[in-house]
Amino acid sequence: MASINETLKQATVGIAGLGGLGSTVAVALARGGIGQLIIADFDTIETSNLTRQQYFTDQIGKSKVDAMVENLQRINPSVHVRGHRVKLTAHNVPEIFAEADVIAECFDKAEEKQMIVEAVLRRMDKPTIVSVSGLAGYGNSNAICTRRISARLILVGDGESGIDSGQILTAPRVGIAACHQANAIVEVIIDETKK
Amino acid sequence: MESLKINGVKKQFAAGIPATIAVLLEQLRIEAATVVAEIDGQIIECEKFAETKLHEGQSIELVRFVPGG
Repeated sequence: MASINETLKQATVGIAGLGGLGSTVAVALARGGIGQLIIADFDTIETSNLTRQQYFTDQIGKSKVDAMVENLQRINPSVHVRGHRVKLTAHNVPEIFAEADVIAECFDKAEEKQMIVEAVLRRMDKPTIVSVSGLAGYGNSNAICTRRISARLILVGDGESGIDSGQILTAPRVGIAACHQANAIVEVIIDETKK
Repeated sequence: MESLKINGVKKQFAAGIPATIAVLLEQLRIEAATVVAEIDGQIIECEKFAETKLHEGQSIELVRFVPGG
């Protein structure tokens, strides 16, 4: 059997959205030795993003994809990163993430979370999707959990804390959810190879 | 009494189970656009919620998304 490091190096992970969740998942997986990352976002970095997203002050105004490609190369040059500066839709998701073994849903809006989970489960055969619902606010770390909903859907979060109820996003609590996501992704990759 | 299993918990409906997923979500006051629904492990697209009939004993997973990321 291949070693765990070799297994992770062979894996391809898609990251949909590069905000607080996506940028943190990307950094964790690059450090963790995932071989290929496919990252996608249409947005540019704003000052307010720096409270919880893995960018630097001199990257304000840059596209998140370009900045993250740069940062990941500095962290671990052996990771192959493919960046897509694009707005993800139900139609382009299967194409952009065609080679992904696992996809991380890292969007902000509830409707977009719904869209990509539905698209991956309905329009793709292979990848597992690890999605997040409920990470806003502070404290209450242990309310954030990871649950397998069905064969290809894993859900992270406390299920209820949204920014719609006026709660803020904080680096620690978003980071907890993002690392749950990254950890679930590593687990899926390693477990898949045991089958 | 007719029942459905919703997110692992058996729920009984005195007046009969809701006719469709759309009706069920309405009863639960959940906005359809923020939900991923599976019936017996099969994903049901949001646009088919109104036409997807529910049957006694089905196991339904409703994943409700709240914003933030």
